[in-house]
Amino acid sequence: MSMKKLLKDGPKVINMGMEQFYIDLKAREVPAVRVDWKPPLADRELLGKLKKLRGGNFV
Amino acid sequence: MKRLEVVKGEYYDSVTLMLVAKELKKIEGVAEATLNMATEANLHIMKTAGFEVDGVNASPDDLIIGIDCPGELFDGLMETARSYLSSPPWKGGEEPSEYTPRTLEGALSVLPEADIALISLPGRYAAAEAMKALERGLNVMLYSDNVSLEEEIELKRYASRNGLIVMGPDCGTVVINGEGLGFSNACPVGPVGIVSASGTGLQEVMVQLARRGAGVKHGLGTGGRDVKSAVGGISSLIAIEALANDPEISVVVVIGKPPSTEVREKLVQTLRSCGKQSVTCFMGESPRKDEPQLKYTTGLEECATVVVALLDGKDAGKAREDLMNEYLKIEALGRKSETSGRFLRGLFTGGTLCYEAESIARRYLESIYGNNPLKIGMKLPDSLKPIQNSFIDYGEDEFTQGKLHPMIDPSFRTGQLKMQSEDPSVAVVLFDVVLGYGSAPDPSSEVVGAIKGLERKRGPLYVAYVCGTSGDPQCLERQIAILKEAGVRVFESNARASIFAAAATVGRERR
Repeated sequence: MSMKKLLKDGPKVINMGMEQFYIDLKAREVPAVRVDWKPPLADRELLGKLKKLRGGNFV
Repeated sequence: MKRLEVVKGEYYDSVTLMLVAKELKKIEGVAEATLNMATEANLHIMKTAGFEVDGVNASPDDLIIGIDCPGELFDGLMETARSYLSSPPWKGGEEPSEYTPRTLEGALSVLPEADIALISLPGRYAAAEAMKALERGLNVMLYSDNVSLEEEIELKRYASRNGLIVMGPDCGTVVINGEGLGFSNACPVGPVGIVSASGTGLQEVMVQLARRGAGVKHGLGTGGRDVKSAVGGISSLIAIEALANDPEISVVVVIGKPPSTEVREKLVQTLRSCGKQSVTCFMGESPRKDEPQLKYTTGLEECATVVVALLDGKDAGKAREDLMNEYLKIEALGRKSETSGRFLRGLFTGGTLCYEAESIARRYLESIYGNNPLKIGMKLPDSLKPIQNSFIDYGEDEFTQGKLHPMIDPSFRTGQLKMQSEDPSVAVVLFDVVLGYGSAPDPSSEVVGAIKGLERKRGPLYVAYVCGTSGDPQCLERQIAILKEAGVRVFESNARASIFAAAATVGRERR
């Protein structure tokens, strides 16, 4: 969807992050869908490895 | 007794965590409850609050729950916390929730006609998700901060090459066809198009236009860095062109802190040739001579006043002059007001409101400190310990890393407001209350709760501006009434409140 289309017919929103923004949009009947986002698994694995390298003390 | 527990690999957004903490605090015996993703910043804050975090095995992808309660209650409260997280009590009675996809692809299968992604994820993940959205043909509003300059440039260049726009990072407000995304107010739709490098700047101009009966069709945020040399105004220029090509828009407005010299020149040239009446509002700039198609303003209310004059076919210069005369009356009122103490403290949730207030106060007061001061050399050594005349923006990164923006959760600013009020050297406390979608449900009551029952016998003078409209969920009139009942002087714009507060402080500093 180009910017032109957004300004002509939008907004139709995919919300990633704070749920309140999605709730506010739905309350005004703005087309919106919420992504139940979680941090990527790969990143968590990497952090786990880093933690081991630091002797378990990540703080 | 302060105890904590780590829940490994569980991610929740900051709003959910704040609401669960609030629910837990309602339970008898709970002195304190705090739920955070275990970022370094949050662990530091928890440690400062007395929780034993040293040696805790937790990463930023883990949830950490801290509760201050009698020891025998802790396990039960942890159970309650978990049940609140899986089944939030504030959603009681709702029908079973609809299907919630886990990925952008899943969301596109539910809403294939989607045209924009609103991203408010932690900064370290936000740029990657924004790029995914762009690659799938979505425009992006990037609310997240802590996105690197390099990532911002890459995202904006990609968008520009593909007929899209990236609004942000650190973009709090966007309006498309009158519908607000992020922090926004209930304002009428009308023939004004705004490009804004500042979130609360956009909110204030829209609110001031609404109070004068004028509306905005599109309000396109860009993020503050867009108008700096490194980014070169990529999104601002795309946005101006789009608004100029919209036949329903008759006045194009550009708002922000002063851009870099070369970006300013590009913006002004683009406006001059856009074929429409246009207005710039670069706050704190020296006044410039208006041109037939381009008016220069340096204040947010002034900007709205000039736009309305253009819409009404009236003399913009005369409208500006009338406004300045009103400001002179407010200044005289401020000079006559009584208080004790010597200094002005500005405590803000809105970054641009803080910037505008400080730029106004500088006309009256010699030295002003701050956590993000206008003048080099005036940075506070510790933002939690303001000195003399100080302006603090509690929306700055130092206060928001891993925590909610103060417009959503004003409790931290409220605590600071109470502390400043008890300082006998403080003559005037100036603050903002920002209403609208996304903002706290009852911010004025939070403030009043803090300033009631102070031990100080006299003063300070409380001066406030409430940025909002009657249609906002918090209701403007109700929020103003709460403040006035507590003795707060409430003004009709950020500029007016700032003029009054600074004038009330003039001459007191050397006493």
